Amino acid sequence: MTKKILEICIGTPCYLMGASELIEYYNNLESRIKDKIELRTSHCLEDKCEKGPVIKFDDKLYFDVTPERLSKIIRKKTQ
Amino acid sequence: MSNNTISEVVKLKRKLYVELVKMMIKENLVEEIDYLPKKMIRDDTPRYRCCEFKERAIFSERIKMALGYSTLNNKNIELHELASDLYKADNINNIVEVIEQACDSCPIDKYIVTDACRNCVAHKCLNSCPADAIVIIQNKAFIDQNKCLECGKCARECPYGAILENSRPCVRVCEVDAIKSDAKRQARINKEKCVVCGRCIVACPFGAIADKSSIVQVTDKILKKDEKTAALIAPSFVGQFGFKVSPETVKYVLLEIGFDEVIEVAEGADRVALEESREAIESLENDRILLSSCCPAFKKMIVNDFPDLKDNLSHTDSPMLTTAEKLKRYNSDINTVFIGPCTAKKEEAADSEVVDYVLTFEELIALITGFEINLEKVIERREIRDASKFGRQFAYSGGLKGVIEELSEGKIKADNAEGLAKCIKKLTNLKAGKSNFDFLEGMACKDGCIGGPGSMINPKAARKLIENFAERSNLKLK
Repeated sequence: MTKKILEICIGTPCYLMGASELIEYYNNLESRIKDKIELRTSHCLEDKCEKGPVIKFDDKLYFDVTPERLSKIIRKKTQ
Repeated sequence: MSNNTISEVVKLKRKLYVELVKMMIKENLVEEIDYLPKKMIRDDTPRYRCCEFKERAIFSERIKMALGYSTLNNKNIELHELASDLYKADNINNIVEVIEQACDSCPIDKYIVTDACRNCVAHKCLNSCPADAIVIIQNKAFIDQNKCLECGKCARECPYGAILENSRPCVRVCEVDAIKSDAKRQARINKEKCVVCGRCIVACPFGAIADKSSIVQVTDKILKKDEKTAALIAPSFVGQFGFKVSPETVKYVLLEIGFDEVIEVAEGADRVALEESREAIESLENDRILLSSCCPAFKKMIVNDFPDLKDNLSHTDSPMLTTAEKLKRYNSDINTVFIGPCTAKKEEAADSEVVDYVLTFEELIALITGFEINLEKVIERREIRDASKFGRQFAYSGGLKGVIEELSEGKIKADNAEGLAKCIKKLTNLKAGKSNFDFLEGMACKDGCIGGPGSMINPKAARKLIENFAERSNLKLK
């Protein structure tokens, strides 16, 4: 099975708004789900710096992402 | 994750800092600032209060503190009035304040009976209460708050754990007992007792406690071409600016946005290490146990709450003051900005002649964001070699302890305490003559400076990065 790609922007505006909490969330995922996802970091995702933290999951952009939201996004798409 | 969770309140504060810096750069702060609450708190912004109007009223108070002004002393003043003279800002006194409109007047009844109470036959709560404050009403225990001594026996005795200890988050984390409730049940900070450790700021879920900032003043200074401004970066800075951002890149960017000089405070820490280990040996000969003086919160707590131990405090200045003093000696006109994870340093700086401003890492990253610089994209670097591995280790708990032991070649038996609660324990034992160390390193924050309220990353990760950075130094301690 091909892995779904999770891209987290770690550029300074996203970092300031909590991108590190998203990476931490990914790192602590249970392996059943983590194995289906490949993490990549980005310096900037489509210049949407005002709406950080920005992520791209399975080719879709999400803004203002919190760990709680990330959890929902991932779980919905990896079932 | 850092010790400091990035809640919506924290995000809003950071967005505010970024906006203020952008307005400073565009030179429209005075004209635009009155519109900022409306611009940033919109009808559709997530809300935590009754209406957007209250949300904006609270936000206006946040802006006052971000400008360095007191919220308590400037109640009926419009924002543009404050913004028109940034240097009247009283960011000197009362670094930490309660924003009255935001404080939710949390319940202050210390013990309450929950629905888990079964009105059991044993009535252990009732029998254990020394004040006869518990009665049974409607098949449930009830605590008469007028009689309650807040001893907690009932809560410990209840077999169902049905009695809850209830304390305000701010009061619970304050180790020096500086927060009380006023007549309106709102939190009040006793300035004399407060050591500005910043724990209450992080703890309040309503974001009702804040520290004043100097972010606009520093932005103004670095934008001024005819003034010289130096950035003094605390030993704990390594790794705080992003995952792949090197210390050398941080230095490059600081010079790029207008700082004229960037120096590691570890440079001053090197000299403190030499001086304090010399003082420790001298003290050992005179049977005087020495207490470290680099953490201002630890120091102030000793002065306030352990006056008998005041003479045990090291006379050596803190690394921040040592570094700033040297800069000012060579150039008395230079503005000195200390950059660290610490709120207590804001007060230490205000009381000093040599440090003009303090920014936390959080504030500096907001400032850099306001300059529209993305650190992760910057590839340029500037070499940093101000300090030896000794000075660089001051950033984490146990660092100074190790330095003193090494420099005294094992003659000094050093110990350390991290977090005010542990510091209090060690100091209490010391006062009672029950301690077995010659030197105590005291740090108000758990993990040391890397666990400070203005830090950005996990202290464990920070410690590793700093250890590597310290090992990389090829400077010898003179």
